Amino acid sequence: MPLYETVMQEKPPVVLDIGTAYTKLGFAAEAYPRKIIPSEVILSSDGKTKALLDYDSNTELYDQFVDFLQMIFFKHLLVIPKERKIVIVENVLGQTIIRETLARVLFRHFEVSSIMFVPLHMAALATLAVPTGIVIDMGYTETTVMPVYSRVQILQAFQDQAYGGRAIHAEIKRQLLEAGVNGKHLTESILEDIKVRTCFVTNFERAKAYRKGQPPAAPPDLEYLINGEEIIVIPGTLRETVFEIMFEENNDRDSLPHLVLRAILSCPVDVRRALIESIFVVGGSAIIMGLLSRLRAEMQYLAEKDEEYKQKLCGDIKFKFHKTIGRENFTAWLGGSLCGGTDLIQTHSLTKEAYVKTDRVPDWINLSDKRATA
Amino acid sequence: MANFMQNSVVSYACTCGLVNPITKLFFCRHCLKLRCGFCVCHEVDSHFCSNCLENIPSSEAKHKKNCCTNCFNCPCCQHTLSARATMVVVPKKTDDSPKEGEGDGVKAVTKKMYYLSCLGCRWTSRDVGIPDQNVATGAWPENECSYQTRFNALLEYYQAVVLQDKQEKQEYLRRKTPKAHKFPSLTDRTGLTVSMIRRQIGWPDKNTQKAKPVNITPSVATDELEDLPADVFTQPINLRNVSNIQQRHGQPSDQPFTVNKLYPQRRILWIKRSLRCRQCEHNVIKPEYHPTSVKYRIQLFANYHVPDVLLVRSEEVLHAGKSGSIILKLTNPTMHDMSIKIKELPTLSEELEMIEEFKLACKIKENTATSAAAESLKSITSSPSLTSTTLSRQTSLIEDPRIVQQKANVKLNNSELNFVLNQRDDSTEFDEDVQTPREEPEFIIWRKSNKVSIRLPFTTDESLKVGDLVKVGFTMEYTYVNTVTNTPTSHTLSARVFIDAGQILGE
Ligand SMILES: [Zn+2]
Ligand SMILES: [Zn+2]
Ligand SMILES: [Zn+2]
Ligand SMILES: [Zn+2]
Repeated sequence: MPLYETVMQEKPPVVLDIGTAYTKLGFAAEAYPRKIIPSEVILSSDGKTKALLDYDSNTELYDQFVDFLQMIFFKHLLVIPKERKIVIVENVLGQTIIRETLARVLFRHFEVSSIMFVPLHMAALATLAVPTGIVIDMGYTETTVMPVYSRVQILQAFQDQAYGGRAIHAEIKRQLLEAGVNGKHLTESILEDIKVRTCFVTNFERAKAYRKGQPPAAPPDLEYLINGEEIIVIPGTLRETVFEIMFEENNDRDSLPHLVLRAILSCPVDVRRALIESIFVVGGSAIIMGLLSRLRAEMQYLAEKDEEYKQKLCGDIKFKFHKTIGRENFTAWLGGSLCGGTDLIQTHSLTKEAYVKTDRVPDWINLSDKRATA
Repeated sequence: MANFMQNSVVSYACTCGLVNPITKLFFCRHCLKLRCGFCVCHEVDSHFCSNCLENIPSSEAKHKKNCCTNCFNCPCCQHTLSARATMVVVPKKTDDSPKEGEGDGVKAVTKKMYYLSCLGCRWTSRDVGIPDQNVATGAWPENECSYQTRFNALLEYYQAVVLQDKQEKQEYLRRKTPKAHKFPSLTDRTGLTVSMIRRQIGWPDKNTQKAKPVNITPSVATDELEDLPADVFTQPINLRNVSNIQQRHGQPSDQPFTVNKLYPQRRILWIKRSLRCRQCEHNVIKPEYHPTSVKYRIQLFANYHVPDVLLVRSEEVLHAGKSGSIILKLTNPTMHDMSIKIKELPTLSEELEMIEEFKLACKIKENTATSAAAESLKSITSSPSLTSTTLSRQTSLIEDPRIVQQKANVKLNNSELNFVLNQRDDSTEFDEDVQTPREEPEFIIWRKSNKVSIRLPFTTDESLKVGDLVKVGFTMEYTYVNTVTNTPTSHTLSARVFIDAGQILGE
């Protein structure tokens, strides 16, 4: 591949994974993103900082993308976007307006030569070199579950729930307010810092004790200094229990273990075992101590004790998990980097010429588009 | 330029429809149009380090991952690290010590050693166990990516897989399409295939060029997961040792949880940007190469070409539906006299028409930008840099101009104000104010060299409420002499200007 290699060396494609909370950015064929930055824009109109994906009108979203990408290209990656190839890692069932606007900004404003959209769950799985697995992406606004069998996404088994970083932050805030902490200090960034540095997912035994109303001896409380001004006390129970909102038992049976089991059961019978033994948890919210072993214990428990699951998942069930290479928050980006590092970038990208003709982005769901690319 | 840093009360509508103060606008001398940061093409001109001000060629910058080799940032607080020297005592080397029993045994020498230290938070490179270096710009160890080999294997694997797929597809297509030879070849008639002949001659099979499948060990899933350490329930944690999210993201490859694994970060380079007009591909801004220079090689700032409008004061207290007036000072920055005409802003339908015209112009330009038209265009613009390569550019999508969001809420009392703005003449700055009085229209209240003050009367809209901001808007037509061409040509250009005249006051 001599010709290809020179192209790569000269102008490696830019790989972007734009999340609700953080954006991972870098170049294809590199082992980690150059930067992980908050998905926020400083508006060129009035200099205020604002969440990238918070918008009222299409034009507003368009302008925010322009400002954001301008910063990525000229402050972080230092490349000329014109005639550059771009890889976008995206949620397959994400909002159409976001991908359409992003494509419009990249083609019209930055004049990039092509965009390759890589489905997030497939990209994450690519980092393992296994063809089958159930990918759980835990982001800021939502957790999504997508089974993949033999490199094909089983779309009808897709599951999502609105718990992720944001819900955890809300829970920390609720518990702190209950403990009498002044709410004015509890900004999103403070809540995030508390989550990241002090909290963990407790084990199944202790969680069961909490549920029964016989809480075990709580972990030590913690003194936490806010902005160098005020000291608040973070109760030990908070540190241990904020993640329980993902595991809470309720009638809807929509906690995280149920979500994964439901996704598995929505798949054909003959692929279920393969999925059970190939579970892969990624996303920023997955970087928390104790999450995997807790999830495994809960699922194992449900598979053995819950009537519904016991019936449907007959036989000896052992849930097996993969470990990520690198941190979980950029696993999907890493998959994008791998895809962008191969010839797929030449064959599977949406080129500017194709975009000019139709003025729209082919959709994953749209069958006519699928036929065209197949 | 009085409003360089503050929010400006006077703003101009760019060709693209965005509104900006004149200090943020550019003027393309080739298209004779206003441009702003949004509608020009940004390009990376040169890379440099903002700390040591060293210029780094772009190929080297790419190789160094856009980082300076000499400068580091603190991993804890992102402050710049400085190299500190210490004297250490090291035993003298053994090979020159045993020399004819002089002195008593091994001598010690002092040596200068360096480490990196942060003046902001007192972090040092010794905190992570980096040994001191004997040169200040020493080879500080990098934080290695722990899974680089695995990543390389994955990449190689996927490249091979994709290539193999591609070859198989090509092979399939080749076999499917019947050979389109005009004449049957020898091999066809004899029934021998090329590969058989090759084998008989003893040549290697052609197919061996095929990409060899690369093997990779797939990841193995396990049910033995790390449990929480028991002490997490009993031991207090020291927040000082736990890294925060910013520190973790500063070291993306491993994002350590504890601060004792944070390594010095190479400082990311900065760039100098050049700006290019999207319509004609000429530069409007090109900085000088050297990092310490703040000058430009090309600087087509709008306030060198477009009359500058300044609000001097608002004459009357503003009430809704009543008349008011503002005093403006206009300055001609060019070396040619300008005739100015101030009139109402275009109506919405006129504005839409302008946008359509602009789009049409872009289309025509694109269609005519073929090699045949290149010659004629070249003769029109007579600019050397407009080579055929820029003309035969690929399908382009140009950002559509927008309708100006800013709306005026007054009506001008006069349908038109016409006057002349004299050329800039730096020598008259020193003259005494002895201009021969001439017939001036009554709205001109003051004039000196290239500056004029005018009174602009208007009537505010009835619908305005107390506290609302009065926006005066007008179209300013001005004559501009284009000196890019060999023979200077005069053009009538226009700019849409918006002025904050103040708030509506109560009775
Ligand atoms: Zn131009
Ligand atoms: Zn503009
Ligand atoms: Zn430097
Ligand atoms: Zn520091």
